[in-house]
Amino acid sequence: MRTKRKHSDGVFLLPEGDLKKPSSPQVTMLCLLFVGLLGIGLINLYSASVGAGFFWAQTRNLIVTLSSFLLFGWIISIKSVAAYTYWFVALICLLLMIVLFSGRIAGGSQRWISLGPIGFQPSEFAKLATALLMARFFSSNRQDSPYRLRDLLPLLAVLAIIFSLIFAQPDFGTAGMCILIAICQFAFIRIDLRSIGVVLLALPFVAAVLWNTLLMPYQKLRVLNLLNPNLDPQNTGYHALQSLIAVGSGGLFGKGFMQGTQAHLRFLPERHTDFIFSVFSEEHGFWGSVLVFTAFGLLTYIALDIARHCKDTFTGLLAIGVGALLFLEFSINIAMVMGIFPVVGIPLPFFSFGSSAMLTVCVSMGLLITINRNNSGVRKS
Amino acid sequence: MTRIHKQESSLIESRFMWASILVLAVISGLLFRLWYVQIYRGDYYKDVSERNRVRRIEIPAPRGIIYDRHGEVVLGNSPFFDLVFIPQYVQDRDTTFKILARLLHVAPSRFEGRLEMAQGQPKFLPITLKRNMTQHEVSVIEANKIFLPGIEVRVSPRRDYGPDVPPHLIGYLREIDPKAMDDLNQQNPENPYLLGDLVGKQGIEFRWEEYLRGRRGYRLIQVDAFGRQSESFEENGWQYPSVGAVPGSDLELTIDKELQKAAKDAFAGKNGAVVVLNPQNGEILAALSEPGFDPRAMQTGLSGEDWRQLMENPFKPLLDKTTGGEFPPGSVYKPVIAMAALEEHVIDTNKTYHCPGYFTLGNRRFYCHERRGHGTVNLLTAMMKSCDVFFYQVGVELGVDRIARYAKAFGLGQSLNTKLNMERPGLIPTSAWKMLVHRFPWVAGDTPNVSIGQGYNLMTPMQMASLYASIANGGKVLRPYLVNRVTNHVGETVFEHQPEMIKKLTEVSPETFQIVRNTLMAVVMDPKGTGKNANVPGATVAGKTGSVQVVSLKKNRNQADVSMNWKEHAMFAAFSPVENAEIAVAIVSQNDTVGGGGRSAAPVAGKIIAAYWRLKREKEALAATNKDSLPLDKKPEAEAHIHENKAKTF
Repeated sequence: MRTKRKHSDGVFLLPEGDLKKPSSPQVTMLCLLFVGLLGIGLINLYSASVGAGFFWAQTRNLIVTLSSFLLFGWIISIKSVAAYTYWFVALICLLLMIVLFSGRIAGGSQRWISLGPIGFQPSEFAKLATALLMARFFSSNRQDSPYRLRDLLPLLAVLAIIFSLIFAQPDFGTAGMCILIAICQFAFIRIDLRSIGVVLLALPFVAAVLWNTLLMPYQKLRVLNLLNPNLDPQNTGYHALQSLIAVGSGGLFGKGFMQGTQAHLRFLPERHTDFIFSVFSEEHGFWGSVLVFTAFGLLTYIALDIARHCKDTFTGLLAIGVGALLFLEFSINIAMVMGIFPVVGIPLPFFSFGSSAMLTVCVSMGLLITINRNNSGVRKS
Repeated sequence: MTRIHKQESSLIESRFMWASILVLAVISGLLFRLWYVQIYRGDYYKDVSERNRVRRIEIPAPRGIIYDRHGEVVLGNSPFFDLVFIPQYVQDRDTTFKILARLLHVAPSRFEGRLEMAQGQPKFLPITLKRNMTQHEVSVIEANKIFLPGIEVRVSPRRDYGPDVPPHLIGYLREIDPKAMDDLNQQNPENPYLLGDLVGKQGIEFRWEEYLRGRRGYRLIQVDAFGRQSESFEENGWQYPSVGAVPGSDLELTIDKELQKAAKDAFAGKNGAVVVLNPQNGEILAALSEPGFDPRAMQTGLSGEDWRQLMENPFKPLLDKTTGGEFPPGSVYKPVIAMAALEEHVIDTNKTYHCPGYFTLGNRRFYCHERRGHGTVNLLTAMMKSCDVFFYQVGVELGVDRIARYAKAFGLGQSLNTKLNMERPGLIPTSAWKMLVHRFPWVAGDTPNVSIGQGYNLMTPMQMASLYASIANGGKVLRPYLVNRVTNHVGETVFEHQPEMIKKLTEVSPETFQIVRNTLMAVVMDPKGTGKNANVPGATVAGKTGSVQVVSLKKNRNQADVSMNWKEHAMFAAFSPVENAEIAVAIVSQNDTVGGGGRSAAPVAGKIIAAYWRLKREKEALAATNKDSLPLDKKPEAEAHIHENKAKTF
C-alpha cells in the first residue's frame, strides 16, 4: 500500500459516496454471539468430558482465548495485521515444517508441537494464515483487469506449499479447508475466465493423481463410508454410525443435559473434538440443534454483511475469509456428525476442544469486530 | 469511471447475493438432514442407542433333577463350559477364528457354519461355537483371551448322563428348532425359548419339559462400547434390575434305579423290551428297551453317518419298544383264553383234552409245539406245559369274538395311555375287524392261531405287564405311570399322581382269577413247568412263557424282522408273590439267539424278581438298624426336602 488512495482501493471499487452506513449493532451482535456460543460450547463440553479433563483444560485456556478476542477486537489495528501478514504466513510455514519432522503424533497423525506443557496445532492457525494471505496478496497486487493464472502464480505457489505441508501430516481435512477458504475468497475476485477453465480441466486429473498416490487407505475408506456408514461399522464407519445414532436418538427435545448415553458411555470416541455436536444434539435434541444452527447462520450473515461494507480489499477479503472459515468449519463438521460428509478432522467452532482451534476462532471473531469498527468509522492509525 | 464502478459494484453485489443464497441453502440442507435424522427417524435411532448401552446377560436355569422312587438321582446336572462368540465385540472375525482354530485344533470352517446359523440375530447375542469344552481347552482359551476379543467362556448347567440312564424313558435334549420355537413362544409368552435352548425330545424330558425347564434369569447391565460395565449412571443408588434363574422342578419317578440296573444286566445281549409294574397301583418300577442310544450323542448332534446307522438298524434303537413295539404275544396270551373259557363254561378245572401233537380242523392240521404230543391234559397241565392243542380246542369252541371280548375287557387292543412315548394300541382281532380291514370274513382256520397268541394278535410289552398285573390284582386295570411327584425349586409339590384305575373287570370272577393264578404258579414253581427258570428261591412266582415263531407269520404286522432274522421271539410274563403281588414283569426278547421263552426269557424275569426281593430285604434290614431315620422305601415327607440328602444338584 505504497500509494495513497482517495477512496477505497482494490477490488471493492466503491466510491466514497456510495458507502452505505454500516450499523454498529453488528458489534453488539457479534459480541453476543461470541459469548453465547462460547458459553454453550463450554457447557456442552462439560457434559462431553465427563470422566476426562477436557472441560477444565478448556476453561484454563479461557484466559488466553478471551484476551486474544479482546486483543484483536479492540486493540490491534487492522493495518498492523495487514503489515505483518507475510511474516505470519512464513512463521506458520516454518512451524508446519517443524511439525512434520518432530511433531507429536496423536490420533494417527502428526499434528502437534509441544512447547513444554503447551501443545498447539499449527495447522489450525494455517487456516487463518490462508485468509490473511489471500487478503494481503490481492490488496497489494491490485489490477484492473481480471487476474490470469500467471498473475496468481506466487500466490498459488504459497497456497500449494501450505496445502502440502498440512496434507503430509496427514491432515486431509484441514488442508482441504485452507483450499476451500481460498476458493471462497477467490469467488469475489475477478479472474480471467480462461484461467478458470484451465484449472477446471486440470482438476479431475489432479484429483485422480491425489486419490491414487497421496490419499491413505483410511482416508479413502472415510469417503466410501460416507456412502454407506454400515460398510464397516466396527472400524472406519464407526464414528459416523455412532454419531448418527447419538444425534437421532436426541429426538425433539433431547435426552437432557448430561443424560446423553452414547457419548457418556464412550460409544463416541472422539466426542470431545470432532463429534462434539453429537453430544449436544443427543442431549438437547432438535430444538437445541436448531438454535445452534441459527446462531451460526446469523454469524455468517453478519460476516458477509461486514464484508459488503468494507472499503478496502484487505478488510473485505479478510472478512470473507474469516466468515468462510467459521461457516465452513461449522457446516462441514455438522455434515460429518450427521453422516452426510466423510469424516475429516474439522472441529466445530466454540464447541470442540482444542486450544489452537479455539484460539483461531477467537482471533477470527476479534478480526471481524475490528473490521466492522473500521468500517463504521472508528479509525485508529 | 462511475459506470465501470457501478458495473463492478453490481457484480460484487450479486456475488454477495449468491453467497448469501449458498449459505442459506447449506443451512437449509443441514436442517433438513437434522430433521430427517432426529424427527423422522428419531425413534429408530433411539431404539438403537438403547440397545447400544443396555446388555442383557442371560442366566441359564438348571433343569429339574430326576430322582427315582428312593431319592436316588437318575439324571442330574453338572457345569459345562461353552465357547461363545459375541459378534458385536469381535473386530476381526477371520483372525479370531484362525487363532481359535489353532488353539482348539479344529478347522475354522466349523465356526463359520455356526455363524451362518445365527444370521438374523442381534449382534450382542452370543453364538455358541463349541459346547462342552474340556478343562484343558478352557484354560487355553482363557490364557489367550487378550487375543480373542468378543470370545467368552460361559458356564452353564447341563445334563450329566451316567452310563445307566435309560435313554427311552428319560429321553434326551436337542437344540430347539427355530420354527417350533416360534410356535412354543406364542403359546407361552412369559417364559420364551431362545435360539440355542435345549428342549426335551422323547421320554420324560419331553413330556415334562414344562416342569423341568425352569425359567431363565437375566441381569441387565449398562455397558460402554467396549462391553465394560459402566458405573457412572446410577442415580440415588438405582440399579438395573436383575432376575434370578428359577431352577426347573424336580421329578420323582416310580422307577427303582437299582431294579432298573438289575433288569438291564439281566437283559444284557438281548433286543426287545422289559417292563416291571406294581400291580397294586400301576407304578412302573423299571422299563427298558434294547437296543438303546446314547443321549449325549443325540444332544451334541449326530453325524450323518451315525444318524443313518441308527435309522437303518432293524432293531430300531430309537423306538421305545415298551409301548411302541407291538409283538404277537404267543403263549403268554393263553391265560386270556383260559379265563374266557372258564367264564363261558366251556371248560372247568377238570376238563381234559387229548394232545397227540396236532389238532385237526377241517382239512388242516395245527401242530402243538411238542410234536410228540402231551397226552391227556387239563387246564393246569396244559398251562404248565404250554400245550397248544388244548388251547386250539378251547379257542375254537369259544370263537374269536368271545375271546376278543375278554381280551378287550383287560384293556387290550387299545392304548393304555401312559403318556410317555409313542404308544401302539396292539391288536385284538374280531370277525368284524377282519371284514373291515382285510375285506374277507373270518374263517374257522384263523381261530386256532389266535388261541395261542399268534395270528393277528399284537400286544405291547406294557400291555403284557398290565395284563398280568390285572390277573395278579384280581381284575383292576390300572394305568401305568412313571412320575410320582413333581416338586418345584422351593420344595412345594406341584404335581402328585393319583393312581388311576382304567376299569374294574366284571367279566371275570375272583374265583376264575384264583384258578388262573394257581395254574400260572405251577408254570414256574413246578419242576416240570416251562417257566421253571424263573423260579426264585424264597419267593412265590407265577408266570407264563411264550415263544413266538416269526417265519410262518406272514400276515403279521411285525414284518421288519422277518426277512432279517428267522429266530423266535422269546417272551415271559410273571408276577410275584402269587397272592397280593408286588411286582409284575413282562419280558420280550426279539429274535432271541439263546432260545425260546422258557430257556431265554424266563431266567431274565427270574433275575429281576430275585433282585426285587433282595433289594426289598436289604432296605428292610437297613431300616431296622436305623430306627430313627425314615424308612427308605417310603416317600419322604415334604419337610425333609427331597434334595437334602442327595448330592450332585446344581
